[in-house]
Amino acid sequence: MTAWPLRWARRNLFATPLDGALSLLVIPTGLWLIYALAVWACRDAQWSVLGDSMRVMMVGVYPADALWRAWTAAVILAALAGATVGLVVKDDPFALLGGAALGILVCASLLAGRDLADAGWAAVACLAAAAGWLAMAKLPATRRALPLAWLLGFALAGGIFAGPGFDAWGGLLLSIILTIAVSALTLPLGILLALGRQSRIASLRICCTAYIEVFRAVPLILVVYWVWIVVPLLLPDLSVSGVVRGVVGYTVFFCAYVAEYVRSGLQAVPRGQVEAARSLGMGTWTLNTQVVLPQAIKVVIPALVGNMLDIFNAATLVFIIGLTDFLRAGQMILADPRFGNLTYEVYAFLFLVYFAIGSLITFTARSLEGSLATGR
Amino acid sequence: MMLQATAAIATAKPVASDRQRLRLRLRRQAVQAAIVLAVAALVIGFGFAVRRGLAKQGIDFNFGYLLAPANINLSEGVTVVFDGARPWLDGFSSSDTNAQAILAGLFNTLKVALIAVVLATVLGTILGVGKLSTNFLLRKLSFGVIEFVRNTPLLIQLVFWYFAVMLKLPPIAQASEWYAGVIASRGGVYLPTLVPAAGATPAAAVALGAATVLAVLALIPVLDRRLRAAALAGAVAATAAAAILGFPLAVEEPVRTRFGASGGISMTPEMAALLLALIVNGAAYLAEIVRGAIEALPRGQWEAAAALGLSRAETIRQIILPQVFRIVLPSFGNQYISLTKSTSLGIAIGYPDLFNVYGTISNQTGRNLEGILIVMLIYLLLSWVISALVNFANARLVAAGAGR
Repeated sequence: MTAWPLRWARRNLFATPLDGALSLLVIPTGLWLIYALAVWACRDAQWSVLGDSMRVMMVGVYPADALWRAWTAAVILAALAGATVGLVVKDDPFALLGGAALGILVCASLLAGRDLADAGWAAVACLAAAAGWLAMAKLPATRRALPLAWLLGFALAGGIFAGPGFDAWGGLLLSIILTIAVSALTLPLGILLALGRQSRIASLRICCTAYIEVFRAVPLILVVYWVWIVVPLLLPDLSVSGVVRGVVGYTVFFCAYVAEYVRSGLQAVPRGQVEAARSLGMGTWTLNTQVVLPQAIKVVIPALVGNMLDIFNAATLVFIIGLTDFLRAGQMILADPRFGNLTYEVYAFLFLVYFAIGSLITFTARSLEGSLATGR
Repeated sequence: MMLQATAAIATAKPVASDRQRLRLRLRRQAVQAAIVLAVAALVIGFGFAVRRGLAKQGIDFNFGYLLAPANINLSEGVTVVFDGARPWLDGFSSSDTNAQAILAGLFNTLKVALIAVVLATVLGTILGVGKLSTNFLLRKLSFGVIEFVRNTPLLIQLVFWYFAVMLKLPPIAQASEWYAGVIASRGGVYLPTLVPAAGATPAAAVALGAATVLAVLALIPVLDRRLRAAALAGAVAATAAAAILGFPLAVEEPVRTRFGASGGISMTPEMAALLLALIVNGAAYLAEIVRGAIEALPRGQWEAAAALGLSRAETIRQIILPQVFRIVLPSFGNQYISLTKSTSLGIAIGYPDLFNVYGTISNQTGRNLEGILIVMLIYLLLSWVISALVNFANARLVAAGAGR
């Protein structure tokens, strides 16, 4: 009888000669990499750059005296995000531990910035997220109010944040608000396009199909740039801010993708449902809004959440229209001669934050997939 | 389509008089006409509004600028030039026209997209199989790489490869030369290449050419097996003949000079970074597709292979992957299109791809809208060509699979 670590190693690391050779190659390389990384992170890296430039990365060049607006918006968004996670994660200890660790990390990194007010705000934001989670996870009655809460909360957060004008928006908060706004706007448009593509009326069908296919075939960066140029030409008397033009560009592009997801959901609704509704005498409008869409949307919710990650990742492309998102803010800091040689520190932080948010969205999508699948 | 059909059946009244039917048809046609008119009005109104906006700024809308000299410099790029009347491919120079500059950009886009598609497919397949490996470490490593790449934006990966990897390499004078003559420096990456040998005879060159054609034939999976075997034998024979006649190709390694390296294939750091980013990113997405397809295969395939005494590696190579490639081809096609579109991020690091060249020309001439129409059309064509190619290959593969 061998002890189980040995048995485990034999089964999982040295099952075949090839496996053994690979393990012998990967283990030392991996250990050396971890060691080198640890030495760099603990000894050589100058993390103080993050404290000095945290504000720029989070909100760009937002005026310092209006910072409370940014923080209030962040607190509202944190509460909403916490509530949404609470919808899918009830009492998974690992997820809760991860969330707590993330919160402590956020506050600690802001404390390292030697700004007590910021750290206090961050703590409030973390508490708001926790409260949102608690409300959703423990009080199922609040669940129905979530869409309304998102609508009102997001409008409120946007309104407060927009105090000094849209042009002041920047940093991570810009990336996040852009993502939410575009996700919200693309949903109704995508549904209309998807229904149009399935319509009995040939001309409508052709127009919607053409729109979807054209915008799925060209790069996002081109569409965003094009909208950015065209909007002032269409409205010469109005000066539309870059942020609004960006949101329009992303919406024009991504509603084609949402339409395709929704269409796949429409196709997943059993034919009998439509036939049954028709035989009950339902008209097209009632049929779609009461029978087909609720089922179709439920099927595609995980895909739509995944699409949110695509939007968030694509939000880095706003550099093409001169906006300063999270990544661009990081690059701006590196352009400062004082921080010029701290490339790895800044990129490590950017990667970490992007990965944390991306993983959170992916995790939510996967959990939703599981919890929605059981309902069917 | 199915929904429509049922809806149409369901609404058709069991007993409808001719009059009612006519009225229904008229109504439907009126709706059609109304929609066509509305869309036409929208498009025309859009056009007029843009025209008015342009006129207000004193700009007209025409494509004449395409034939004017570009007066821009591209760090790389090959375009169509006219030497007399005969079209020929040559490096882009600043006296060439704007149209030729756009062609050079298209060439750069295609160059990166093609290499990235091939290498991302290879790496993606390896990662996808690695995620299902029996080796715990390999499994977790593949999982980690895939998750990390998929959950971070492509653009940050790209700028990281460029600013934090390529530009942190030593300058060419101190660059370490790896084995087989690979030089990686911040001035560019240099790889060995094949060149015609000094004493190559035409006969040997013809033999090698024949060997290449036969080898390609032998590699096409949809051809008849006997034909492929014959082609393979022919390729070996032709190669041997070429070797006896004096092999017409030689390996040329890059040699370091004062300001760069001569010989071999050179790649600008921009191109190398864009390639790395697209390959790694594309591979992560392709790997997920491969993994999904492998897991979707019936377990019986594995069990049957094990019952026949095939090892796991043999099972994957001979049983699993051939079936997987048949399933994943349409999804791969979507990824190839998305990868080709992603080359437009080259503008973030100054790689002169189609979009970047368009941007430079627009800045010079102020003709944003004309250019965007052209570039959009080119991207549309590219996407359609890729999806047509994939559909063609898929039809052949499915047909070949059904025939077996």
